Amino acid sequence: MLGKLIKYELKATGRTFLPLYAALLVFAAVTKLTYLLSDSGDNIPAVISLILYIIILTGMFVMTFVVMIQRFYKNLLSDEGYLMFTLPVETWKHITSKLLVSVIWNIGSIAAAILSIVILSIDDIISGEMKTELSIDIAGSTTALALFELILACIAGMVFGILIIYASIAWGHLSKRHRIMASIGAFLALATFSQIMFFCFTVMPVAKALQERGDILYIGLDRSLTIYHWFMWILIAFLVILSALFFAITNYVLNRELNLE
Amino acid sequence: MNPILECNGLTKTFGPKKALSDINLKIGQGQIVGLLGPNGSGKTTLIKIATALLTPSSGEIQISGMKPGLGTKKIVSYLPEKNYLNDWMRVRDIIGMFKDFYEDFNPEKACDMLKRLNISADDRLKTLSKGTKEKVQLILVMSREAKLYLLDEPIGGVDPAARDYILETIIGNYNPEATVLISTHLIYDVEKILDHVIFINEGRLVLSSSVDEIREQGKSVDGLFREVFRC
Repeated sequence: MLGKLIKYELKATGRTFLPLYAALLVFAAVTKLTYLLSDSGDNIPAVISLILYIIILTGMFVMTFVVMIQRFYKNLLSDEGYLMFTLPVETWKHITSKLLVSVIWNIGSIAAAILSIVILSIDDIISGEMKTELSIDIAGSTTALALFELILACIAGMVFGILIIYASIAWGHLSKRHRIMASIGAFLALATFSQIMFFCFTVMPVAKALQERGDILYIGLDRSLTIYHWFMWILIAFLVILSALFFAITNYVLNRELNLE
Repeated sequence: MNPILECNGLTKTFGPKKALSDINLKIGQGQIVGLLGPNGSGKTTLIKIATALLTPSSGEIQISGMKPGLGTKKIVSYLPEKNYLNDWMRVRDIIGMFKDFYEDFNPEKACDMLKRLNISADDRLKTLSKGTKEKVQLILVMSREAKLYLLDEPIGGVDPAARDYILETIIGNYNPEATVLISTHLIYDVEKILDHVIFINEGRLVLSSSVDEIREQGKSVDGLFREVFRC
């Protein structure tokens, strides 16, 4: 059933994102072409195309955010919820399907943005000007691990960001009236809580370790990388734990306290 | 025989307002039941608690011995009074979705009914009129072979000709062991198909009686309703 929910969620949202990605790449290509084809410096078509590209790029990230909220709120907690919550599916699967698809579009938007930048700088890449910057010691297992940790932390951050919003909307749903205001209030509360937790369990221990063993930073790159690894894993664990908490809040409300109007 | 739907002390409050107040009720299997009451009497609230869309404030409701949840959702086919169709889908997509999620959904039956009502499977749900959307929802709901059908105002928004067809559909499409609960205030139209009636007013149960008993007293359901709910 989770697979089916994901399928319908992808269909419902893909209609928005795929054309946006296509438009972004097309305008990146058009900008590049108009720029390459013109000899002189001042080139009005290329400038217009570039402006459109930037608008689409911004719009794409705004839409990624808006659709994430809208799919959760509209599809589950407004009239469409009458259909979704009478399907014979566990509540956690609804939340998981929305979460996964949201993460997919987050990554998709970032990938589309990167790809569009590659298109815009294609001649530089071909001529090899960017190679030197890109090839700073990508080899080496430590660097690969560091990169892996960074990507993992980014994904955990995405999941955290989505679930804090789901939990806020769910919490706001407990209010009899003014559910949107209550959701905003819940978001501020959960965000403050997260920041305090972040400071206590992530920043403080690392700062303390640095204070006590700060000298190791000067010893060599390997040692400072150790600190980096520590910090990343603490950060990832922190994000995972808080995400689990927000998931539990959302699941509890939608399971036990659902009151669709 | 075990009741298909049973309420014990079921109460639902919205802030200071009591939408349902201490409802005790048993509905047996294999009948068509009218849930009747004036506007705002608690009909929709009762049905929404049975479908787990609302959480009761106190008391409980059981369907086939289960609390509303995953188990009951498999055997309950629910027609809300709202339009719950996703705008982006075509009629064909929503039929596919029902087929994907409900094991008891019969797509051939749904396609037959669509044809009879001249609704094209290629139509976008967004472009359908309000009445047509209601018909599509009813077709979806009646194409399931459920144990309990909960129909909230199934004939409220459609013209009298379609009303007759819908009532025929309801009688013709459910299996005799299933139970159909129809909530409405248009009593005259549904009277002829009902086996049992439940009157509720201001969240309280006023009457639960078989239609035969009412007729034995020389009354019609419509007449009794007017008598009970005289303004």
